[in-house]
This record gives sequence, structure tokens and C-alpha cells, in this order.
Amino acid sequence: MGFLRDFTNGLWNENPTFRIVIGMCPTLAITNQAINGLVMGLATTFVLLASEIVVSLIKKLVPNEVRIPSYVVIIATFVTFVDYFLKAFLPDVAAALSLFIPLIVVNCIILGRAEAFASKNPVKNSIADALGMGLGFTWALVLLSVIREFLGSGSVFGFRLLGNWYPRMTIMLLPAGAFISLGLLMGVMNLISRKKSGKEVN
Amino acid sequence: MEEFTQILLLFASTILINNFILVRFLGICPFLGVSRQISTAFSMGLATTFVMTLTGMAAWLINTYILEKFNLPFLQYVIFILVIASLVQFVEMFIKKTSPALYKALGIFLPLITTNCAILGLALLIPQNGYGFIKSVVFGFSAGAGFTLAIVLMAGLREAIEFSDIPEVLKGVPISLIIAGIMALAFMGFSGMIPG
Amino acid sequence: MKKLILTLTIIGLISALALAYIYQITAPLIEGEEALARKKAVLDVLPESDSYTEVVKNGIIFYEGNVEGEVAMSVSGGGFNGEIKLMIGANPFEGKIYKITVLNHSETPGLGSKITDDEFTSIFAGKPFGKYQVVKRPVSNPMEVEAISGATISSQAVTDIISDAVNRMRLAYGGGA
Repeated sequence: MGFLRDFTNGLWNENPTFRIVIGMCPTLAITNQAINGLVMGLATTFVLLASEIVVSLIKKLVPNEVRIPSYVVIIATFVTFVDYFLKAFLPDVAAALSLFIPLIVVNCIILGRAEAFASKNPVKNSIADALGMGLGFTWALVLLSVIREFLGSGSVFGFRLLGNWYPRMTIMLLPAGAFISLGLLMGVMNLISRKKSGKEVN
Repeated sequence: MEEFTQILLLFASTILINNFILVRFLGICPFLGVSRQISTAFSMGLATTFVMTLTGMAAWLINTYILEKFNLPFLQYVIFILVIASLVQFVEMFIKKTSPALYKALGIFLPLITTNCAILGLALLIPQNGYGFIKSVVFGFSAGAGFTLAIVLMAGLREAIEFSDIPEVLKGVPISLIIAGIMALAFMGFSGMIPG
Repeated sequence: MKKLILTLTIIGLISALALAYIYQITAPLIEGEEALARKKAVLDVLPESDSYTEVVKNGIIFYEGNVEGEVAMSVSGGGFNGEIKLMIGANPFEGKIYKITVLNHSETPGLGSKITDDEFTSIFAGKPFGKYQVVKRPVSNPMEVEAISGATISSQAVTDIISDAVNRMRLAYGGGA
């Protein structure tokens, strides 16, 4: 039971993007194409999963004073791993994500979960937490990038859905569009969660 | 003279055109988190600029004399983040000893700076852009100045809308993001000001 | 204190070893990928060649196609938002451009990014070497290039890079046209 609860926690209740509002830099920067959002989300999920497993395994071996530096080294190691992997097998996507792959190192989601969850819980629960948080982050990125790509280029995952008649809203692909669409989307999410909790109270 | 013009151009374009927050999306967390008041935003900007200037210096030295010299590109991320963390710690201790007043103003922001992706982003951009030592330092300083400019402007706007009638669901982060979007649009006007 | 240093050292060592290992495995793959991308870009701008050799002239790397006279070079320069990287295929002996492609750019999506469209790049195909002029009206002679509307600076940047490149290619190959 605990396993399932830890997993679903990140999907909605403590969704990193919409509820806790962390990891904003990649959320804004790379969501101009759906594929970028998906790869970024999965890359982050992998780093989160691997780091939480290792942190949970060695939590008793690491003295408290050097906890944070140790975690940072572990995270940076896995990030480098993902970076080389993407460059070797998905060079186009790696080029599009460029700086934001190494910046997973300082994504607060990872250090935050390693410190707040994995360092206090058994491996099994840490896996659930990492998957929930990672996929929670991933669906938020994919949703935002699908919206931006659709409005900005008339396509989704590179498939042209709207013909040439569609006046592409270039602004959605620009930084300004990123900020505005995420702001509005967050408002919508607030509205949904408020409706949901309102119903539960009644 | 040529070199000097280039440095001036780098300075201006890092602040206005390739603004770290509004164009490169680096440092969004403090931008949203510490922009409620102009005074705190300014202190945060100051602390960040200070660390960024030092990071620019350190990143170039480490990349040139350690990573490139011993051919260790795969340790770049690990070493950069450790250096930034130690640098922040060192700055914190230094300010605490030398200027208690400054420490009081900046102290609480310093630990936050380690996980500010603008700092690691800056360190990674230096080898990528192939800057020399002087350019790296200027790049670090102007990135910090651009960060300060954006965060202070944001704080000013947020102070102004504090008592405005905003739909409940948009209060807080959502409305800040929308404002940032409008600011980003305004900053687009600067691009093209400096050709090449 | 001893334990602290020991822990950090062990973690650091394991991390460094693991990364060195991964680097060894992926480095050749990444290099292969880059070489492949470069090969595709070079052959794309040379109409007849199906292989090429790298030649250094005047300190510039040229890619000479296996068909006589076909030469490609990769050049870059400043655009509206950042560096623009182009691949140019030309015949320096006849002084004629075959084709250009944009390899990399950071121009504004939807405006400056139109420099990658065939509609714009094909303007340069068949042009004689020389200094090109960007105009904001239909062109009246082969040395003129019509700017993309809304992206004059990006158009100008690409045109300048090409003017400069063909000049360097002409010098390297001894005059030409």
C-alpha cells in the first residue's frame, strides 16, 4: 500500500511542476517541441531513480556532515552518464536540449527528493517515489510542450496536424510564450485541484 | 581596441539580449522565489553577481588548467558543481568574517545560490563558447548584472500588483510567469540592437 | 573527521572510475555520429560527388569532392541572436555556388529561422562568386539577395557570411572567376 501511495504522490498531490513549483528552468526552456519535453522528462526520471536508489542504499554509510556533497557527486555522475548516452544515441535531441541536460545536476527535484525522501526511506519506497516524481515531472513537461508545439507550429511530436492555412503562433515557441503558457496552465491546474478538493469536502 | 569593443559588446548583449533569466531560462527558481520585494531582490542579485563573477574566473581556470590539460572532459559536471558549492561556502565564510552587515543582508541567499542553475549554466557556457580569461570574467559579471536587472524589475512589478484584483487561481506564481512573459517580449526589442 | 574525508574520497573515486569507463565506451560512438553528420552535410551541398577529402589551404579546411571542381567549406558568423553555421558547396574554378545549407543557428523561431528554408537558401544556388547585396525588393541582378520579410538582419548575416566565404575560397583556389 505504501508503495502505491509513494508512487502516486508525485503524479498529482506533490507534482513537482504544478504544485511544488520546482525545476522551472528546463520546464520553460525546452518545451517548444513535444519530443524534447518527453526526452527531458525521461532523462530526469532516470537520474532521479538512479540517485534515489544509490542514496537509499548508502544512507547509513555516509556521515551526516558530508551528506549533501556526497549526494551532489552521485547526481552529477548519473547526469554525465545520461549526457553521454544521449549524445551517442540521440544526437539531435541532445543538441536541442544542450545545456539543460547537465543542468539536471542542479534541478532541485533531484537533490530535494534524495535529501527529503531517499535518505530516510528503504530502497523499495525510494523507487516508487522516484518513479512517481519523475513521471509527474514528465507528464507536466509533455503537456506543456504539446500545447506549445501545437499552437506554435501546428504539429505534435513533429506530425503536422494543421495545414498551411494555420497562421502559426510563433510567440508560443519564444521565451515569452513559454512563460505565458506555463502561467496560464498553472492557473488551470489550480482551478482543477480546487474543484476536486471542493467536491471532496461536499 | 578590437578586443575592447568585443568585450563591451559581450557585456551589453549578455545583460540585454541573451538575458540569463528572460532568454536563456537560467535562474528561474530565485527569479520566482525571491522577487516579492525590491530590496531583497536587489540583495539576491548582488550576491548572485558576486558569485557569478568568481565562477566565471574559476570555471575558466579549472577548465584550462585541469580538465583540458589532463584530458578529463567527463569529470566536467562533477568538478564544476563541487567547485561552485565550495566557492559559495568560501564566500559565505569570507563575508561573515569581514563584513557582518553585508552578511546579514546576503547571508540567507548564499546557500540558495549553489542550486541556482544560472551559476552552473554559466560555468558550462564558458568552455562551450571558447572565452578567454578576461571574457570569462566579464561574461560572469554581466550575466549577474542581467540577472539582477530582471529580478529587480520583476520585484518592482510584483510590488505594484500586490493589491490588484487578480483571479484567485492565478495569484502567486502563475501571474508572475505571465508578467515574466511580457517582460521577455519587451526584452526581445533589444535583440538586433547589436549586430553580430 | 577522518571518516568524512574517507567517505568523500571513496565516493569521488567510484564516480571518477565509472565516468571514465562510460566515456571510453561512448566517445567513439559520439565521434562517429559527428563524423557522419559532417559527411552528410558536405555531400549534401556537392551535386555530383559521393566522397570527399579534407584539404587545408590558407589555414582553412576545405572538403574536396571526388568530382573535379566540387569544393565545400563550413563557415560561421554572427547572426541576430547568436552564431550561424553554414555549409557551402561551390566550384571555385568556375566561381559558382552549388548549394548552401544552414547547419546551426539560434535565430528567432518563425522569423529569422526562415534562413533555413529552401526558399531562402536556394537563392544562392547558381550565383557567381562576389559580394552580395541584401535588398528589400525583388532583385534586379544576380548579386542581389531579397531579404526575408521580418528578418532583414538574419538575411544580411547569412549573406555576409557567404560573401566572405566565397572570397576566401576564391583566394585559396587561386583566383578563379
